[in-house]
Parts: sequence; C-alpha cells; structure tokens
Amino acid sequence: MRWLGSLHAEWTKLRTLPSTWWLLAATVVLTAALGAAAASSVTTRICPTPCNADTTKLTLSGVQLSQAICLVLGALSIGAEYSTGTIRTTLTAMPGRWRVLTSKAAVLSLLTAVAGAVGVLSSLGLARLILPTPPDGALLRPATGSILILVLVTLLGLSLATLLRDTAGSITLGLGILYVVPILSHLVNSPTWQHRLQRWAPMPAGLSIQATKNLGALAIAPWPGLGVLAAYAVGLLGAGGVWFRLRDA
Amino acid sequence: MTAPTRTPAPYRSALHPARAGFGRLMRAEWTKFWTVRAWLLVLGMAAVVVVGISQMGASGSVTGGGPPIVLGPGGEVVNDSFRFTHRSLTGDGTLTVRVTGLKSNDGEALEPWAKAGIIVKSSLKQGSAYAAVVATPGHGVRMQWDFTHDTAGPSSDLGKAPQWLRLKRLGGKLTGYASVDGEKWTQLGEVGVGGLGRTVQVGLLLGTPDHEVVQRSFGGTSARSGRTTVTGTFDHLTLQGTSTGAGWTSTDIGAAGADDPNAGNVPPNTTQVSPTGTYTLTGQGDIAPQENSPDLVQMGFQGVFVGLLFMTALGTLFVSTEYKRGLIRTTFTATPSRLKVLAAKATVIAAITFTTGLLATAVGFTWAQRTLRSNGFKPPEFPDLSLLENPSLRAVVGSAALLSLVAVLALSIGVVLRNSAGTIATVVVLVVLPQILSFAFPLPAAQWLLRVTPAAAFAIEQGKKYYPQVQHNCLPENGCYPLTPYNGLAVLVAYTLAALLLAAWTVRRRDA
Repeated sequence: MRWLGSLHAEWTKLRTLPSTWWLLAATVVLTAALGAAAASSVTTRICPTPCNADTTKLTLSGVQLSQAICLVLGALSIGAEYSTGTIRTTLTAMPGRWRVLTSKAAVLSLLTAVAGAVGVLSSLGLARLILPTPPDGALLRPATGSILILVLVTLLGLSLATLLRDTAGSITLGLGILYVVPILSHLVNSPTWQHRLQRWAPMPAGLSIQATKNLGALAIAPWPGLGVLAAYAVGLLGAGGVWFRLRDA
Repeated sequence: MTAPTRTPAPYRSALHPARAGFGRLMRAEWTKFWTVRAWLLVLGMAAVVVVGISQMGASGSVTGGGPPIVLGPGGEVVNDSFRFTHRSLTGDGTLTVRVTGLKSNDGEALEPWAKAGIIVKSSLKQGSAYAAVVATPGHGVRMQWDFTHDTAGPSSDLGKAPQWLRLKRLGGKLTGYASVDGEKWTQLGEVGVGGLGRTVQVGLLLGTPDHEVVQRSFGGTSARSGRTTVTGTFDHLTLQGTSTGAGWTSTDIGAAGADDPNAGNVPPNTTQVSPTGTYTLTGQGDIAPQENSPDLVQMGFQGVFVGLLFMTALGTLFVSTEYKRGLIRTTFTATPSRLKVLAAKATVIAAITFTTGLLATAVGFTWAQRTLRSNGFKPPEFPDLSLLENPSLRAVVGSAALLSLVAVLALSIGVVLRNSAGTIATVVVLVVLPQILSFAFPLPAAQWLLRVTPAAAFAIEQGKKYYPQVQHNCLPENGCYPLTPYNGLAVLVAYTLAALLLAAWTVRRRDA
C-alpha cells in the first residue's frame, strides 16, 4: 500500500508536468523521423539485393537522437525537484528515500518503455515502406534492445541528477557519455583505446545490441554490450541511492 | 502667501544615454562570470580535458615499419612509379606524340586518373623533378609537374579521338601543348622546374593509380586496393634535340624489387614498337602526391570533442541561471537596452572561452606533437610542424574559435529556450550527433550531414592537404571532412549568427 502510494505520487508529479509529455512525444517522433531519414538515404546503388549492409541497425539509428531526450527526462525528474525545492516536500511526505528513488525509476521506465516501443516500432514500420530491400533476419533483439537502451539512458539521467543534484551538470555529463565517448572511440588514433572504449564505455557497447549483421566484427557481443550499459545505469542508480540516503536534501 | 518650496533637481547620469557605457556593461557581465566559482572550475576542467584527451590519443598512436617512402622535390611524400619509355636529352628540345588509346587490362573500368602521355624528368630516380603532359580517361588533358602541381587542359575524351601532346624544354622552362590534329596547338602552361640538369630523361609515360574498393557496411569499413594494369598506344613519337642515347629504352620507375612479396603477382610490363612506329606500352603505378599517411595535425585535437561539452554548459548557464534566479530582471532594470545586454554577454563569454580554448589547444597540440614524435611519427615522412605556421596555426586558433562559437551558440539558444536542460541537449545534439551518425550512415548521407550541420566545423582541425589530382575516398571515420577547413568553420559561424539573431529577436519581444 505504501509502495502504491509512492508510485502514485511520482506518477502524479510526472503526469502533471507538460514537459514530460513534450519529451515523450519528442522521443517517439524523433526516433521515427531520424530512422525514416536514415532508411531513405539507402539507395539500391549503395545497397543492392542482397544487401550486405546492416539496414536494421541503420533504421534504428533514431535511438541515437532520442536517447538525449530520455536523458533529459530522467535528469529533470529529480533535478527539477532539487532546483525548485519540491524535494523537501517529497521527502517530508515520503521519508523512505530508497522508495522515492525506486518509484521514480519505475514510473520513468514504464513511460520511456511505452514511448520507446511506439518510436522503435514506427521506425521499423516506416523502414519497411522506404527501404528498397526490407530488413531481413531477426528483428526482436534489435527492437527490444533499442527500447531497453532508451529506458536505461533515462535511468542514467535519473542517477546522474541524483548524484549531482543539478540538472545542467548531470545532462552535460550524460551527453558526454552518450555522444562524445563514441566519437572518441572512432577517431582516437590509437587502436588499443578504440577497442577499450568500444567495449567498456556504455554507449558504443550498448548500441551493439542493434547489430544484426557481421556480429563477429563487434568489439563486444550484443547482449553483453547492453549489459555494460545496464551495469552503468544500475550501478550509478545504486550509488545515487546511497548518496541520496546519506545526504541532506 | 506660501513660502516657495525648493525641490532638488532629479539625478541625471552624466553619461550620454545612447552610450551608457558598453564597457561597464561588459565589466558587469565579467563580474557575474568570475564570481561563480563553479564556472571557473568548469572552465579549468575544459582546458585540462582538451589537453589530456589529446595527449591520450597521441600516446596510443604508434607508427613504423611501413614500406619505404619516396619524397618529392618539395619534401612531400609521393608515389613515383610508372612505365617509362625514354631516352636522354641534352640541352633544349621538343617531344611530340599522339596518344591513340588507353584501355584497362583487368576488365575493370579505367581509373579516372590513369595517365598516358609524355614526360621530361630530371633522372630515373624516384622522386626526381619532372614536368609531364598527360591524357586521362576522366579528367581530360593535364599538365602536371613536381607531383603537387596540376593544370587542366582541353577536356577531350581519349576514347573518341586521338590526342596530340607536346612538351618543349628551354633551359629550366617547360611548356606543354595539346592538339587534336597535330597542327593547331593549345598552350597548357609554361612552368619553371628546378633541379633539371643539362641532360634529362624524356619519353613516354604510362601509369594508373591503384583501384580502390571501399566496402562500407554503415559503420564497418574495409578498403581494399588492388593494382591494375593499363595498355596505352602511342604513335608519331618525335624528339627534336640532342640525344646521346642509342634509342628508346624502357624502365619501370619504382618497380618492385626482387625481395618484394608482391612482385610475383604483377605481370611484367612491356613496350612494343611496331614497324609503322606504333608504341604499345603496358604499365601501372602513379606519379602523384601520396595521401595515405595519417593527418598529424588532426591527431592533436581529439580533446576538443570533450572540451566543447564544457563550453556548451558554460554558455548555457551564463544566461539560463539568470532566468532561473530572476537576476535577469535586475539586469534589465539596470540596462533597459536588451540587445546591449545580449551583445555584452556574447562578447564576454566568447572572449573567455576563446582565450581558455586557445591556451588549451596550443598546449595540447604542442604536447601531442612531442608524444607523436617519440612514437615514431618522424621526419621526413612527417615533417616538423611549427605552431606558428599553417596548417598548425589554423588548426589551433580555429579549434579555439570553434569552442568559443559553440559557447555563443549555447548562449543564444539559452536566451530563446530559457532553461538549461533543453539548451545543453539541443546544442550537443546539433554539434556532436551528426559526427556520430556520419560513421553509421551511407557515405552520401554522411557527407551531407558533415556539410550542413555545425559538425562541419571540425574540418578546421585538418592539416592534410588533399590534392584534386588524386582520387580519394573521403571517409568520416578516417577523420576526413568534405568541406575545406575554413568553409567548415563558416558553417558553424552561420549557425551561431542565426541563433544570435533569433535570440535578439526573442529577447526584445518577450517579458523577462
């Protein structure tokens, strides 16, 4: 009953913020739009039948844009409480801090999972219409994996904001993890560092779940790759929870 | 009767209202910046990170053990291998020939830069000075000299009609001509080639660059290059001048030695002369600058990708915290002219981030170069780069400008959005995401992204010169940007200016 109460409270807080719905809508639209744009950049000249390129991964590249929005959503859900002082009201009403954090995480995960599912399924559907040769092979792993990426990135945003208690800082740090590390993993001229980053940094590793072809060339296998991202998100959430308990609000 | 009351004169500032001290406004903004300790910390971290990441990238890069390199007369790394049917020429002279055909021996399409023509070369040594007039399948008739220079001639097609070529030597001056009938000649250019002795080697040149196949399965790239062989036919070969040699002899310039493992796969090149004076040559190789070596300048700037995150945060917070805390109302009360406030804010943040960025890129670049030197990137293949000369100077100052432009872009978007979360996410997505997508997208889409988004600005870090007379695949994952350095930076400037205008418009229109 107490759990239901705290879940309900978090749901009300999220539901009544217009920004939540804007961000979720943007997640759906941008996932599908970028996916469709990526699919339409494939021509029969680049990708003749049978096409060796990984078109499934390409159509799911919308996730790389919408993950930024999920990060913002996660970070705002607690960062905004800190900046406006609502956190003190929240903790007065619900003194169990672990419960507050887990309820937040649960409600956020659910919302992101739904928005992510709609976005990922629409980009796959659009790709079927656009691509000269529709993607073949198993779609289940890349599709569920992409939704899980969005959920985990939201949790990453939540945990960073819990740790830093500051929206701007946590978003900057989160975007660095999501975007800058993958760039370095491509452009750093050292093969050792490239391999290390692609294997152990959350983002290149997590995105390996989207690969459907040429799996042998991946630095880390799909599910273990997603596991790396999950380890970062859950680990940071745990660390955030510990700090959250130890510190004053 | 009432006593006259005295009202004191109201206070008026001595400053002219229209020029109410832009300098003071800047000082106010500067005070707002430096008194926030966290921002100074972020600024310092940005500098440390730019230097540190660049150093990390440099220390992991090692080179050595490649094939021996050939240096051209200008000190640049070149390819110099081709089929050369030649004789010596002492003093002045004129070489004329008609190229009648060029075809591939491997069934593949001809490389656009395959070359059949005539050359005056200072010696048979690889990398020696030369001037040549060649017919190419894809780029018409060209006059080329000393590897790096190239002038276009008539764009006639060898496949349709034979092409007459002529090269005249007069001391150190070489003049190239082209003609369709052997009677009316068009001058292509007159060039001075240094390093030509009194006796030079002149004759027929035949070569074709390696055929490169890039398999780019959206992320995983594999480039395969294969040697191709071409056959060229020539007739009406005449040389006017003093030649001491007995006649025409043939040499494969830069031929694979006996110890070369590839030598066995390559069929021997031939030169056949028919009784009617038709020369049929088979050959391979190329005489052009070599562009495969890594870009040593760019390798010293990998930290900029991380540094720009910090600059984005600073630019955003510089305005978004004023909105959050309500300080913006105080600011606008003190200075009612909002555009002036915006201008002062933009100037201050631009100056701060540029200065810090310049310090960081200069130190980072110099240190990275030193590390790269000790990792085997040594002259002559990688000449020493001076910080105060282009392309290093351009890359160092340009990267600092990039960092500062990103901060101003963030400031402007922050004025429009008035919250930090949305602004930071927008700017990072605009500047960094296209770069990531370019690794994953098909090549045309990837290059389009790197042309029209602010990510084009990273081209300013490039130090390598790409010659138009060399066919190359510009792959984003190799750090190649489709725009030239300055044009790339100009794209970011355009975005920043547009955002500033939008900010100016909204800040005037809206309540604070």
